[in-house]
Amino acid sequence: MLNFYRWLLYLYPRLYRQEYADEMASVFREAHGEICAESFRERVSFRVRETLGLLMGAMREHIRDVTGGDQSISFRRFDMRAEFRFPRSTVFLMLIIFGGVILAVEKANTIQLKYAPGAGSIWLSLPWFLGFTLLFTYGGAIVVWGILFALGRTGAHRLANIEPGSHRPE
Amino acid sequence: MEPLPLTEPVLLVLLSLAEQPRHGYSILKDVERMSGGRVKLSTGTLYGALRRLLDEAWIERVEEDETPRDRRSYRLTSRGRRNLQLEVERMRHLTKLAALRIARKEA
Repeated sequence: MLNFYRWLLYLYPRLYRQEYADEMASVFREAHGEICAESFRERVSFRVRETLGLLMGAMREHIRDVTGGDQSISFRRFDMRAEFRFPRSTVFLMLIIFGGVILAVEKANTIQLKYAPGAGSIWLSLPWFLGFTLLFTYGGAIVVWGILFALGRTGAHRLANIEPGSHRPE
Repeated sequence: MEPLPLTEPVLLVLLSLAEQPRHGYSILKDVERMSGGRVKLSTGTLYGALRRLLDEAWIERVEEDETPRDRRSYRLTSRGRRNLQLEVERMRHLTKLAALRIARKEA
């Protein structure tokens, strides 16, 4: 388990690893030594907790590296920057759009049943269509963002310089 | 920096260090003991919190020559202690308010 733990530590950014990996492995070794005497359930729970903790921690530290890490990820309960929050009206508009899509699909379904009754309902193929569309869109967006990020053109590196509450220049 | 409110794990880590300097494993065990076994921190969560607290200068490392690198201790700074006191004060006020409201409802 210690080898697996050390392997997972490689998911962390290099600087973080240099600073904390030995210490984390040492703490893990002590905790693991103690948990060996516990019940099977406790041992499994410990391993799951440690694995998830490392995965989440590594992800958090990478995000922290990208966003600059100064005030962007605080340990307060609600740590999203005010300028990145969705306005409430967005939720309302999204609900309207969702309602519109449902109505359009229902209308298309009615037309299909009228002219091609044996073709089956559109609703059955809709989840697959939506799933593939989302997958394709997100996949494409990630690839494009990855290329732009590698070229330093996403602006992500400049996020750390944003002053919360600052005004745009005239 | 506005210190409030803190998440429970971070609050427990700070409370653990308020008493005396501790190293990582000692913090893990103390947090578990203080919460009656309810909060069990993983090492990933603990060191994520310690790093952020170090960055904000709420805690600092205890520099000792003979301490091995993998067993370093941490202690609260005056800033961390002040912010912890503010958080405890906030919670005390909230508890008092809640008790008053509940008593008024029952009366």
